[in-house]
Amino acid sequence: MMKKRWLNLGFQLSALVLALGFTTLILLATKTDPWQAYKYIIIGSISSLRKFTDVLVSFVPLLLVSSGLLVTFSAGLWNIGVEGQITLGAIATTWVLRLLQDSSLAPGLIIALAMLAGMLGGALWASLAGALKTYGGVNEIFGGLGLNFVATALTLWLIFGPWKRPGIGSMSGTEPFPNTLWLPMISGFRLSLWGLGLGVFFIILIYFLMKGTYFGLRIKAVGKNLKAAYLLGVPTTRYLMLAFILGGALAGLTGAIQVTAVYHRLIPSISSGYGFLGLLVAMLVNFQAIWVAPIALFFAALNIGSIQLPIVLKLDSTLSGVLQGVLVLFVLLMDGVRQMITRRSGGAS
Amino acid sequence: MHLLFIKQMNINLNQICKHFGKLQANDHISLLIPGGTIQGILGENGAGKSTLMKILSGFIQADEGEVILDGVQVRIHSPADAIQHGVGMLHQDPLDFPPMRVIDNFVLGQSGGLFPDWKSVVDEFKQLSEQFDFKLRHDAYVDMLTVGERQQLEILRLLWLGAQVIILDEPTTGISALQKQKLFETLKILAGRGKTVIFVSHKLEDVENLCDRVVVLRQGKLVGEQLKPFNTKNLVNMMFGKSIALEESKSHSTDRIAFELRDLSLEEERIQIQNIDLKIQAGEVIGLAGMEGSGQRPFMQACAGFLRPVHGRILVNGRDMTGMNYPAFKRQGVGYMPASRLEEGMIPGLTLSEHFILAGQQEGLFIDHDQWQEVTREKIRDYNIRGKPESPVESLSGGNQQRALLALLQQPLKLVLLEHPTRGLDIESVIYTWGKLKERCCDGAAIIYTSSDLEEILLYSDRILVFFSGKVSAPLSARGTSVAQLGNLIGGKDWARIKTGVGVTA
Amino acid sequence: MLRKSIYIMIFVLLLAAMLLSACSPKASTSGEGFTFGILMVGPYNDHGWSQAHYEAGLYVEEKLGAKMIYIDKVNTADRPGTTPDQLADELVAQGAKLVIFNSDDMKDASTEFAKANPDIKVIMASGDQVWKDGRDYEVMDNMVNLMGKMTYGKMIAGCTAALTSKTGKIGYLGPLINDETRRLAASAFLGAKYCWTEYLGKDAADLSFKVTWIGFWFNIPGVTSDPTQVADDFIASGYDVIISGIDTTEGLAEAKKAAASGQAVWAIPYDFIGSCEEGKEVCLGVPYFNWGPAYVETISSAIDGTWKSNFQWNEPYWANINDLDKTAVGFVKGDALSSGAGEQVDKFIKELADGLNLWVGPLGLQDGTVYLAGGVVATDQQIWYLPQLLEGMEGQSVSQ
Repeated sequence: MMKKRWLNLGFQLSALVLALGFTTLILLATKTDPWQAYKYIIIGSISSLRKFTDVLVSFVPLLLVSSGLLVTFSAGLWNIGVEGQITLGAIATTWVLRLLQDSSLAPGLIIALAMLAGMLGGALWASLAGALKTYGGVNEIFGGLGLNFVATALTLWLIFGPWKRPGIGSMSGTEPFPNTLWLPMISGFRLSLWGLGLGVFFIILIYFLMKGTYFGLRIKAVGKNLKAAYLLGVPTTRYLMLAFILGGALAGLTGAIQVTAVYHRLIPSISSGYGFLGLLVAMLVNFQAIWVAPIALFFAALNIGSIQLPIVLKLDSTLSGVLQGVLVLFVLLMDGVRQMITRRSGGAS
Repeated sequence: MHLLFIKQMNINLNQICKHFGKLQANDHISLLIPGGTIQGILGENGAGKSTLMKILSGFIQADEGEVILDGVQVRIHSPADAIQHGVGMLHQDPLDFPPMRVIDNFVLGQSGGLFPDWKSVVDEFKQLSEQFDFKLRHDAYVDMLTVGERQQLEILRLLWLGAQVIILDEPTTGISALQKQKLFETLKILAGRGKTVIFVSHKLEDVENLCDRVVVLRQGKLVGEQLKPFNTKNLVNMMFGKSIALEESKSHSTDRIAFELRDLSLEEERIQIQNIDLKIQAGEVIGLAGMEGSGQRPFMQACAGFLRPVHGRILVNGRDMTGMNYPAFKRQGVGYMPASRLEEGMIPGLTLSEHFILAGQQEGLFIDHDQWQEVTREKIRDYNIRGKPESPVESLSGGNQQRALLALLQQPLKLVLLEHPTRGLDIESVIYTWGKLKERCCDGAAIIYTSSDLEEILLYSDRILVFFSGKVSAPLSARGTSVAQLGNLIGGKDWARIKTGVGVTA
Repeated sequence: MLRKSIYIMIFVLLLAAMLLSACSPKASTSGEGFTFGILMVGPYNDHGWSQAHYEAGLYVEEKLGAKMIYIDKVNTADRPGTTPDQLADELVAQGAKLVIFNSDDMKDASTEFAKANPDIKVIMASGDQVWKDGRDYEVMDNMVNLMGKMTYGKMIAGCTAALTSKTGKIGYLGPLINDETRRLAASAFLGAKYCWTEYLGKDAADLSFKVTWIGFWFNIPGVTSDPTQVADDFIASGYDVIISGIDTTEGLAEAKKAAASGQAVWAIPYDFIGSCEEGKEVCLGVPYFNWGPAYVETISSAIDGTWKSNFQWNEPYWANINDLDKTAVGFVKGDALSSGAGEQVDKFIKELADGLNLWVGPLGLQDGTVYLAGGVVATDQQIWYLPQLLEGMEGQSVSQ
């Protein structure tokens, strides 16, 4: 068992090496010094406390959305609708903040209510995709894609329609909320410890949920073999819906963090592509909750570190995206190779 | 055409050894197979038969020993290598690519050009089919073929690739008696044309009927060899190291009605079943006989709540369950064991212990793993499963998976529905399985099961329902029925002489 | 050999210096050692809005000898977890003394950044925060707002369309609805109406001008209306000139297809000086922004200490609206424009240069209320914050 684990790790490491090698080749093809590029990404992400806190700002939403996706992935669902779920979470949060910002309630209470609303919004949007799948027979990929479009259209409509700022509707988003309604930040930094705390709390929660509870085991059973799980007595429809709802709630919380801790208003692309990035993370970790945090941190560091590339090297900064994508491809590839090899040396019959 | 030459190949396996971890799967096995014969390899599950054949066909490599073909020592590194040397193997589960046509499948694995010459391939296909009397259409779709036809296709493909030796690993699993008969005829024709056939099986009867010679493996060793005619008792002794007799099955039938169907009609895509009336007593065993696809499966599914009847009522223990779903049936004490173990019955990737947790009662939010380990260990002991609580189910052998499925059925049950409960099991496991099932009957459970083994049906059932393309016979008493009678009914003959439980099929 | 190349190099350098001093409007300022940063919403080579800014930055480097550093794709989708003010900080960390924000998306961020960094100069292109008469006015000494008067460009586009149209039906492919886009659509309408009645002597009632908004600056499948579809609908219902207000060139492409099948249809793209390339045979011309001169002037003032916070809504250089060293907004004529119509377009430009103002009453709003009474000239605010489309235009005025 132990040996197998080390073998898997070896394969994952070699995937990382291959991905780096491939990216290096691309850099060489564009006549860029790869060492320079990597150096600046590292400098840009961890050379100062401020930069590192910026990495954490990007890490928190990615961590939250990835832990939600871990649940839907375990249930065998391709929750592509996660982008829309983030967006709806952000919309619900904005809605409650707008509703209560002039009330006499304590700001802390308003923020808490708004974030709760965000989770509800995300869960609701996810349960739509879930209902389409379980009752309507619509594959969650198509249902999710459709709902993503609706969510984007809804955001644009709100920003340029009912929620437009006084005077002029702007791509810059709705009117920013007053500082009192921001999730408190460390002074001098953009990072909110509350946000970081929520992220860490939820990944630990999901870890124990998936590892130690009946709920987690049933979700896994549903994901691995729906028919057999049903025969063994798992109410499969209910657990599929629960997976959607839990994943959606965490995506919704991601949206709420985006509104209360990062942008302090609703902006047109509030989801920031975290949903798709989260899908990459979830694919990479292959159902192992323990790896979500390090991988998400690595991706966040790439996001922030790559800002240096256009400034210093006049290099297209999609390089970080290339590296992330290539990494996933190679991990999937190496996983295929690993399975082939273990099958070849297969068991006695 | 190289296929027309009568060329025979002698196989000599010399001191073959193979181990997996601590398990010695093949222990210095030496074997000589003359060309043009049908060689049986007999042994219970896990005796090392498949390992030996995988070595011969290049899927795995031996640790020690030599393979000598026609006096020449060869190294076989891969299945493709094996075919080059004229050795081809049919698998337990035929490898196939369902959305393809027969001819596409046929061409797969062919070495050579990127673009096959379709016309000549089709011609060769037809010629070969004729030569061996196969009735396969080259433009049929593979997923529409029966298991038997898929075997034929695979055999044809191997012949076309130039195989002189054809290895079949448990080929009679999952096919009907009729298909089996057909397969045996085919194999005899092959041997008649000089091909060597190696037939791997744990079924004594099949080996005796088909083979010219047989070797017996037990626990990785070759323990004996016989030529036709065989001494059955001797073979059983060699297989199990002791002699086993099939015991007379006892009936536990009581007069309490456990399950009742009233004027039940079912419809599925391809089959309709109408107006069944049936009362089953607690402790009674009902066998469903018939060729696959004759309506047994929809019948079983309706009894478990998967398939909603179009007409009629279903009563479990006197309670009307018509129109309810499987979980409701399950709560009423109906258990269902599907035929395909890893597709429908178990969850690959989860451990044995996790299966028992899923099937068991939830206590609190968190799983008490220690407690469940204990429960699992008990079940493992109870059901004689060779595995550990933390073993992934896919690592268990077929027989052990089967025993685990039995162990997973809840306790107590009013009605147990079993699809092919002993398919693929060696005789010892069959006896064991039925022992366990009869215990359930003692506790008052009724059993309905399907099987393609007529002897099994007659031996273990109290009453029998015969299915033939949607028609269902009135229950026959197992005591008053012979294998021959049953065989005729399954084949659609003699129906005029018996009552049917059905009206007219639409 | 070596000596020869040195001579050549010196010669080239001298020539370059002479050319520079001859051309540059403010040759006196030297920007040696001055670094400015640009934040661009899209890729720097997008053949549109961002590229126009990137090229203006290169122009500044050439004119002033200052150094440009930039970050492109400044939007949350491309750079998750970042805000424009954070990215501006990065530019400052790399030595930028002045930061240009190039899009409406970054309006709030530019305000935040300007307040947090009083020592750094900020140019918010297309913004109005430091416009004393604007609605969002805030005092920020270190900020300048720059915008070209594209209203003129659009008037010329409208005039060109009216002079060419056979059916008298002009379609306007609008992006999302806000003050800026209403203002530009209305300008195109005013230009069209003027040339239709004054130059062609036709009845204003016979000119139909329809705006269809797709909902965003470019096509997002499933979210916006498909601009290709909208353009096709225009053509199918007899609109024979399509003026584009969006960032992409579907209008031009569809007109080209229709023309290839024998229909008489033309198009006018937007934003980028080279947009006509994709459909020369149907392109009547393109109005474009030219940010370079305004950047040179503003950055010079930052270098030589004459910086003053202000809002600039820059007119074209009327002596030659296509003089890239002088003008803020230009219009290049396309190959499909007939020579007769071309002359009249030149005449219209000349009239505008001589002070022709089309934003004069009587003008009504779409809902029938009075926008400008007879003889009243619109103020800049009235134009900038145009509340509805004008009377006589078809199409939505506010988003629902």
